[in-house]
Amino acid sequence: MMLEKTKDIARQILEEKKAGGVFGLMKNEWNIIQPHLFEDPAELANLVLEPKWLLAKLAMRILRSSPENYKLAVICRGCDERALIELIKRNQIEKENLLTVGIACSQEQAAICLCERPYPEKLDAGEKVSGVDPFQDERVQKFLTGNDKERMERWADMLKRCIKCYGCRNACPICICDPCKLEDDVWVQRGVVPTETVTFHLIRAFHLSDTCVACGACQEACPVNIPLLYLQLSMRKTLREKYGYEAGIDPETRSPVLSSVFEKPDTDREYPAWINSLGEKDES
Amino acid sequence: MNPEFIKTICPYCGTGCGLIIKVENGVAVATYPDREHPVSRGSLCIKGWSAHEFINHPDRLTSPLLRKGDTFQEIPWDEAIPMAASKLRETAAKYGGDSIGGLSSAKCTNEENYLFQKLIRMAFKTNNVDHCARLCHAPTTVAMVQALGSGAMTNSISDLAGAGCIFAIGSNTAESHPIIMGEIYKAADKGATIIAVDPRETAVTRNAKIHLRINPGTDIPLLCGMMRHIIDEGLHNEDFIRERMEGFENLNEFLQLWPVKRAAEECGIDEEIIRNVAEIYAKAKESAIIYCMGITQHACGTANVLTICDLAMLCGHVGTEHSGIYPLRGQNNVQGACDMGALPNVYPGYQSVSDSAIQDKFQNAWGSTLSDKPGLTVTEIIGLAGKNIRAAYIMAENPALSDPDTNHVLESLKAFDFLIVQDIFLTETAKFAHLIFPSSCFAEKSGTYTNTERRFQLLRKAADPPGNAKEDFEILCLLGKALDLDFSYKNSSEVMDEIASLAPAYGGICFDRLERKGLQWPCPDSEHPGTQYLHKDRFTRGKGLFVIPEHTPPKELPDESYPYYLGTGRMFSHYHTGTMTRRSSFLNREVEEAYAEINPEDAAHLNVKDGEKIKITTRRGSIITTARITKRVSKGYIFAPFHFTEARANMLTNPVLDPGSKIPEFKVCAADVRKESQDG
Repeated sequence: MMLEKTKDIARQILEEKKAGGVFGLMKNEWNIIQPHLFEDPAELANLVLEPKWLLAKLAMRILRSSPENYKLAVICRGCDERALIELIKRNQIEKENLLTVGIACSQEQAAICLCERPYPEKLDAGEKVSGVDPFQDERVQKFLTGNDKERMERWADMLKRCIKCYGCRNACPICICDPCKLEDDVWVQRGVVPTETVTFHLIRAFHLSDTCVACGACQEACPVNIPLLYLQLSMRKTLREKYGYEAGIDPETRSPVLSSVFEKPDTDREYPAWINSLGEKDES
Repeated sequence: MNPEFIKTICPYCGTGCGLIIKVENGVAVATYPDREHPVSRGSLCIKGWSAHEFINHPDRLTSPLLRKGDTFQEIPWDEAIPMAASKLRETAAKYGGDSIGGLSSAKCTNEENYLFQKLIRMAFKTNNVDHCARLCHAPTTVAMVQALGSGAMTNSISDLAGAGCIFAIGSNTAESHPIIMGEIYKAADKGATIIAVDPRETAVTRNAKIHLRINPGTDIPLLCGMMRHIIDEGLHNEDFIRERMEGFENLNEFLQLWPVKRAAEECGIDEEIIRNVAEIYAKAKESAIIYCMGITQHACGTANVLTICDLAMLCGHVGTEHSGIYPLRGQNNVQGACDMGALPNVYPGYQSVSDSAIQDKFQNAWGSTLSDKPGLTVTEIIGLAGKNIRAAYIMAENPALSDPDTNHVLESLKAFDFLIVQDIFLTETAKFAHLIFPSSCFAEKSGTYTNTERRFQLLRKAADPPGNAKEDFEILCLLGKALDLDFSYKNSSEVMDEIASLAPAYGGICFDRLERKGLQWPCPDSEHPGTQYLHKDRFTRGKGLFVIPEHTPPKELPDESYPYYLGTGRMFSHYHTGTMTRRSSFLNREVEEAYAEINPEDAAHLNVKDGEKIKITTRRGSIITTARITKRVSKGYIFAPFHFTEARANMLTNPVLDPGSKIPEFKVCAADVRKESQDG
């Protein structure tokens, strides 16, 4: 159902020339699935929606290497939509050049991803299922509870596995800085593994603190199974609870990190707990 | 516009990860991981993510080149191919077919390796064909064939995650096979005990439960001490030994020589620790052994591997899903190059050239007489240059950096009457060629690679080779035809069909069946689903054989003149002779110049600061390199990666060979280190 509806929408987009191409997943005669830019409606018979395969960053690259007026439609899940919105906010994508075909994730997929919003705001096909509270998950609790020292030990133990593939950065739809902080020699020593992996990953985590959409691409790309998504969850939670802000929901709402530069800060605001989460102070 | 996404296989290590190459206007511009790949499942290491970077490098060779004095001149293919054919022919006519040597390539496809060995064997009636497996896992094929009947990794990569104990000896898995390291962590997360044996500290040893920092070259004492303790404690698997093994009494008697105390003294490890790891390995329900160059690159490499086999079989840790012996293969297709018979003693499928029935089979199939005399190995072909070997054809190998005792290798490379090198860059070896064929890289060809878990995988062409460069497959066909062989293959798929018809273990392999996930050999017929793990119920050779390992210490140990141990190896951002990685900007950014690791105490003694130049000298030669001061190496031990042309670690290494497999002893020699004056 959802697949057929998505194909219909995609076909309409191509036939009515609303976009030059539809970016999604294709399954070939050998059941091989891979990203594909559909430009011919006849190819849409091979469109598939599974498995979850984040397309936002690939879509951005397609748009950035296309002629100025090329319009691209992207078949996207909730996380892809949120990532694309963040890329618009960071001036990586022209809003006018992007169309989305929003599809809903299954309850099963939401559970795998620990996803709080397993659907896009602009939903075109499929039924919304309810989100999952990641903080109820045992695996997450193992890394986010306990005192500072215990947490630091647990994380350091995980992070020292890092083999410096840069896969988390490469896969992250929002990691787009050029030059990348991880590549300037101040913080992370070149040419050595394991290196200052705690620094490496905290630089990345804080860089993304207000822009991470919890898609999990970092964690899925990690060859050594570091639960990188969990590193972002507390920061996302605090932004939501203390500032009413969530990355990727609305292209017009600025991150509080930016708005505090442009707008007068609200003096009644509390400091979020995570600011101190790796220091000496014990939260309890 | 319309970018295309082409699924293919990584060109670096033997893990065989899935890549997706993004192609824009016919040019490979980016690499992404393949979420659906059975091994890598959406992950890649730093090299995999950077695999597209060297493809469009301006240094790519784009035309056949003919030596004119000290320079090269571009010539067309229709001159280059006939010239190669006539030079090789003339040489064979004058000195005999055994005066021709061929080095095939673990970087090339199965089909290309098959054609290469077929060309050498048919055209010149010689078995002088070998490749760089000689320098990495030759002891594995010799020893595991003797003990188990098959020289390949027994299990699959994903099987590791279910092991109860993983014993990693002489493998820097985290840097050399990073995606396999992920499987080790999966096992650890489920409660497996990880034991690492390495004279150096690595990411593996730091993340292991127990690290045994043994003296270099004392693997056999350690393993024998462990076995002795296992038997003394009655932890050996008696049922397994009775039903599936032979030679236990001999082994048991031999192990009387190796009480734990003696083992502990030899390898510099506490007796208690040896007992402890022996018990952990023996008692786990399923234990896996991972090993690599730290085991094989010794003058006792074959004995080292035999000892590993003995330990595994003593405990019955072979032939089940999560146990096994894991020799991690180095090159992307070194498994395949061996499988395809790019070896001097066997045809494709490890069928002996000296067996007359096998010889008949190949003579009939190929319509040619063939030699039954085993040929020469890599180091012999190079070493006999200008003597027994008058002309050589080297396909995508770089002995000028990869072989031991470089000074001697360089002299040899000059001594060939005629040398043809086929490569994608003007390598250090190609500079010695009389004739150079420009060829294609992994992204510019179709065919198959076989990874370390025996998985045939399809390579898909993403871009055309640059300029007038050609696919190696096409070059081989052209040369074959010029040598009057029937090499009129339409494509590599047709070659695979011929391979399947001649090598029973690959009988069921054909391109159509490989599309989605590939197939693991043995796969004898078109219905067979492939083999996840070997030696279930029965060893390939019937019964498993305990072989007595002869312990020989390294041939050259530190002395007064050369007081340091020197070992060579790899590091995470570069690969082998650096031909590709040093032309990848992101990889080269991590490490831009040669270095050697030295312990802080030694550095202080030599008054060397981190980043200063040192001169390392052995009986073969010396290099000047940058000191990296680190406790990763023990006092008295120097580690030098061998990727760097400006300071070739192999200038220093000892060319002494393991008698069983003829692998050189890269891992240990004696060296002297001095501070190099900054202005000198």
